[in-house]
Amino acid sequence: MTPDESRFNLHISDPENSAIGYVIGGGLKANLFVRLTVPAYEVQEGGFVVLESGNWQFYGLVTDLQLGALDPRYAEMQNAGRLSDPVNRSLIRQTLYTNLEVLPALMLERGPEPGSAAYKEWRKSLSEEPHPIPIKTVPAHHAAARLASAGDVAEIFGNPQEKGKFEIGRTREQDHPVCIDLNKFVQRSSGIFGATGTGKSFLTRILLAGLIHHNSASVLILDMHNEYGFDDTASDTGKSVVGLRSKFPGRVRVVGLGRETKIRNHTPDFHLEIHESDIQPEDIELLSRELNLRETTPTTLDALVHHFGPQNWFREFRQMVVGSVIETDDGKKTPAPDSVAYWARQAGVNETAAEGLRSKLTRVFNRKYILPDEEKAPLNSLHEIIELLKNGKDVVLSFGDFESDLDYLLVSNLLTRKIREAWEEMTNNFRGKGEKEPRPLVIAVEEAHKILNREMASQTTFSTIAREMRKYYVTLLIIDQRPSQISDEVMSQLGTRVSGWLGDENDIAAVLSGLAGRDALRGMLARLQPKEEVLLLGWGVPMPILVRSRRYDEIFWHQLLGKDERLSDNQAMKDLGY
Amino acid sequence: MTAIAIGRLLRANTTGCIMGCRLSQATTPAFGEMVQIPLDDGTMIYGLVHEIFIDDDGLVRQLVSSEVSAEVIEDNRKNRNVPVEISVVFIGWENASGQVFHTRIPTPPLALDEIFRCNEQEIQHFTAGNRLGYLRALLRNEEIPAVDLVTAHMKQVLSVTNVDHATAWRDHFLNEIIALLKDDYPQLLDVLSTISTVIE
Repeated sequence: MTPDESRFNLHISDPENSAIGYVIGGGLKANLFVRLTVPAYEVQEGGFVVLESGNWQFYGLVTDLQLGALDPRYAEMQNAGRLSDPVNRSLIRQTLYTNLEVLPALMLERGPEPGSAAYKEWRKSLSEEPHPIPIKTVPAHHAAARLASAGDVAEIFGNPQEKGKFEIGRTREQDHPVCIDLNKFVQRSSGIFGATGTGKSFLTRILLAGLIHHNSASVLILDMHNEYGFDDTASDTGKSVVGLRSKFPGRVRVVGLGRETKIRNHTPDFHLEIHESDIQPEDIELLSRELNLRETTPTTLDALVHHFGPQNWFREFRQMVVGSVIETDDGKKTPAPDSVAYWARQAGVNETAAEGLRSKLTRVFNRKYILPDEEKAPLNSLHEIIELLKNGKDVVLSFGDFESDLDYLLVSNLLTRKIREAWEEMTNNFRGKGEKEPRPLVIAVEEAHKILNREMASQTTFSTIAREMRKYYVTLLIIDQRPSQISDEVMSQLGTRVSGWLGDENDIAAVLSGLAGRDALRGMLARLQPKEEVLLLGWGVPMPILVRSRRYDEIFWHQLLGKDERLSDNQAMKDLGY
Repeated sequence: MTAIAIGRLLRANTTGCIMGCRLSQATTPAFGEMVQIPLDDGTMIYGLVHEIFIDDDGLVRQLVSSEVSAEVIEDNRKNRNVPVEISVVFIGWENASGQVFHTRIPTPPLALDEIFRCNEQEIQHFTAGNRLGYLRALLRNEEIPAVDLVTAHMKQVLSVTNVDHATAWRDHFLNEIIALLKDDYPQLLDVLSTISTVIE
């Protein structure tokens, strides 16, 4: 058999290639039905099956198993006492059965029998190598069904030895590696979902480690709970969990929010401090729900910017005092020149609205990481983060003790706004002036529903990134336990979706939105084994598939990095520019 | 052929025949036993015994109600004027080349053709195929006691089949019956219950 032949017919010599059943009906819309000829426990929901029909091979996912009987009486009556054992066994075998419901996804032309003259003719007639294509027809009645072999899985999902193919887990029944294409993964925004305690964080670590190691994109991790940078301890097992900084010391920088912030008792590489002039009205408007801001807020903010300019409005407003009055010569009380009311009268905005806004913004003004411009730190940390990302480094922004939603929303939006501006500029320069192509950037966003919910999605930079920034080399990796809370528009933009167990119907519907066969996949999501199994879906994978996810342990690191589990010191120094 | 004929054909059609024979416990075939009728052109017809008639005559009636010696009774049992009639249902045939067909026979045998018991090899030869096509005709024939006949036939075949192959043949036989009667739950359970009495 030639290499080409073996590529398309791995199953022929594959001992796993025994049939499990045969096609008895169905269609593209209603799924296919396969009569099982092996015990039902040998096949499980989510199993990856191959249907062989003529010159074509069809690939699908088991979405349901149904018990059936030729006549209901055969199922309802137990005849064990009435019939002898061999007779009863034959009766059960012949009259009771299990049908598989298979969601067909892909088909691949494999040609006539290898070695035959027809096969050689077929090979000659090919203008390009056959590759799996979305299913467009159905296999014939009685087409043989079998569980996918290692060759089938590799044919569809790629070989883990190939560059860019990252093993995310293994098929449940036969333990074959399932890969995602990291180059494709970063081309569109993606999401990792799962209810709390289903292993989302570990799966995210695994994917981020793969992305960092593959080095085709920079990664910015908005680490609200300080989990990803330094070594941590698992909340459920109490075992040590290796941080990305520990394994990629030359590549990953941990940035702590606020001066002197410590992350898990470690000192970050540097601290992020924000200057007053960095904050813009849209950063405040994003906090409308958090600060309970009124509808008059945009008008007041607009007046502030108009009056003081975009660089100074925040500082000026911060310095104003609510309720400060002076007495005039005739004894009347009038707003003091440093008061909010004084400015409001001058600017022609509602005094009460302005004072209300000033009071509500006190929480923002009090953030210790927002520095007055006169206290500018020696390092422009916002700029430094962007430069690192531009230059191929990866950044974990840990929020330290600033774990409130206010901090998370304000800082993450502000940072991504800056990033967006930078990447848009780089892309325009690349396209217009022939400058260097921007390095792709993936922004990992934890608790994404806080930023990308329906109310706020239209206001944040994140939704713009999810919608449009693919063209500008920036994509999101959103991590969330309540996907139903995320804007439909954002969800519809997600290329690859990786989901662990979800219990809520709305969350399940959200993860499956816009996908073919979602009805068939719905039950599967609700029955995933927590911490063990995930469902891969969407544009980024050739077909939906259920996998046992990899364990985030020493074996994982050993397999990823080889013998020297840390990137070598030499490599680290080289990465640092020495 | 060295086998001894058990009787001769009285009347026949393409589904079965009735043969007549002398009464003897030793030579009379049992219910369900396989028999064969060789034809002149080399064809062999196979059948199963499904009924055995022992008719009375005037002399027997007299003897039943008379005081006669044991010798007279024994003489009249063995040397009867009226033969024992044995009904046979045909289950297939074999052409001169040895090819077996589990279908209705092409032509019936002629009167007074000799009928023989099948030996082990002949039974195995006839029942060895993948398709036990004759079961269909047997189970749908309302003129015969199909349930008991099929059971008796199965028992005979298993008794002459090598142990290594008996289980496979038995399962094959059962599968064929279930496939034929799957749409008739009461009839299938009736057949299987009867078979269960001879298979453990």
